[in-house]
Amino acid sequence: MANTQTSTGFGFAALAAAGALAVLANAQRRHLNKPALPPPQPTSPQAQAAQKINLASSLLAGAVLADSAVEHYRGSFHNKAMYLPLAISAQALVAGLQGMVARNAGADVRREASHQLAVVNGAAGLGFHLYNITKRPGGIGWLNLFYAAPFGAPAALSLSGLFGLLAERIRQGGPAICGVMPRRAAAWLTAAGLLGTAGEAGLMHFRGAFHNPAMVIPVTLPPVAAALLAGATVKPCLAAPARWSLRLLVAVGFIGSAFHAYGIQRNMGGWRNWSQNLLNGPPLPAPPAFTALATAGLGALDLIARVP
Amino acid sequence: MSEQYPGYDVLAKRRTPSWNEKTRQVIDERLALSREPRYLSQEEWLVLEAICDRIVPQPRTRPPVPLAAMVDTKLFENRGDGYRDYRLPPLREAWQRGLHAIDAEARRRHNVGFAALDTAEQDALLRAVQEGALCDGGWDGMPPTIFFAKRLLPDIATLYYAHPTAWNEIGFGGPASPRGYVRMDFDRRDPWEAAEAKPGREVDAARENARAG
Repeated sequence: MANTQTSTGFGFAALAAAGALAVLANAQRRHLNKPALPPPQPTSPQAQAAQKINLASSLLAGAVLADSAVEHYRGSFHNKAMYLPLAISAQALVAGLQGMVARNAGADVRREASHQLAVVNGAAGLGFHLYNITKRPGGIGWLNLFYAAPFGAPAALSLSGLFGLLAERIRQGGPAICGVMPRRAAAWLTAAGLLGTAGEAGLMHFRGAFHNPAMVIPVTLPPVAAALLAGATVKPCLAAPARWSLRLLVAVGFIGSAFHAYGIQRNMGGWRNWSQNLLNGPPLPAPPAFTALATAGLGALDLIARVP
Repeated sequence: MSEQYPGYDVLAKRRTPSWNEKTRQVIDERLALSREPRYLSQEEWLVLEAICDRIVPQPRTRPPVPLAAMVDTKLFENRGDGYRDYRLPPLREAWQRGLHAIDAEARRRHNVGFAALDTAEQDALLRAVQEGALCDGGWDGMPPTIFFAKRLLPDIATLYYAHPTAWNEIGFGGPASPRGYVRMDFDRRDPWEAAEAKPGREVDAARENARAG
């Protein structure tokens, strides 16, 4: 057990080190090449908010990548289409990260295509999961909602794509979408995403009989944050409490993963029996979805506060 | 090794996350049974061995499951099941009385002990016990049919399938302790489970089983 944890720790440390090196090398390269590049554009509030929303789309795509990799491996990739979300979320993750560091102010057609692909694939995934639930004996019922393919999970991929598209739109200067300003669209999309994710967490934590009191948090806090955020689009006085609730949610995502890691340890054999417990225990990549959504919400609040 | 689960050896789980120290200890004890009687007399032991050979005939291509030793150990430890048919005496007494009565029936019918009979005669006699068609009165009020159905048969069969050799035969993974199973749907299999050979696909199953630990 200690060995597995130590090696996992080393793995994370190595990843973090590699990431830091890459960032440093990039900074160095930019520094050396400075005269060759166009002068950096003044970072507008829109660009900053777009970055946050891109961070959110990437985080969501990353969570989908990790979650679908684990869960579809558990499902033995029985249907070849189960490989799809891995590929699509990986490219959506890259598109989001690229959007974050992009120097061009306008939208990018390749990034937009990537995000659109994610939206479509997520919607198709919803259909597949619904089919998986209904084809089982009993059809739509508590048992199949608990144990068949999770109904709401593919929606996270669509959300990632939608946030990516919104970020592009905001970067462009924010033309309205069907008469809705992107900042409102971002806030409402986040609120809807929070409610959906809280519903999924509620279903799964109900299945787990709320055996740990902390399991109530992801069911109660996100709807409050969603209401505050949606309220802030019409009542500016709600922006401050919305911001605080979203900051809290960012932390809840990380703390949730820590709780889930503890939940895996509590299963028979603990982390030493990872090959069973990682699949059977609480899903490690699920709670960061709240971190991602809260980040998008913070970006929407930035837009509401700073853009006239 | 079995034809249905080619190359599968449940003992390969010994050093994997499937089993922990307690599981290894229990299995080791089961594998280390001495093949000598500890509770029964030599005569009783010979009758028991002959009966076990007829209830579960074993292939000669592998070391047999030491059934008589397993029954004898159960008697030695006086390890009851926690329940018994009210028409039977307690574990040890039921077995001893039953073994003596079966041997006496053999002597009465054939003038030799049960162990010395040929297999057809042994089968006929065991069938008579099962049907209660006996002439010897050495049962002291214990109904032979109940002894056969509720003591002899279940004890031998359950002990046979408590042995790793039998697990290999049926593709069973042994104690799910600590690692259990994840893929519970029909026709799905965890990588640490035995792979069943589909006709013509024995090589695939053997390859999977070499990895199932």
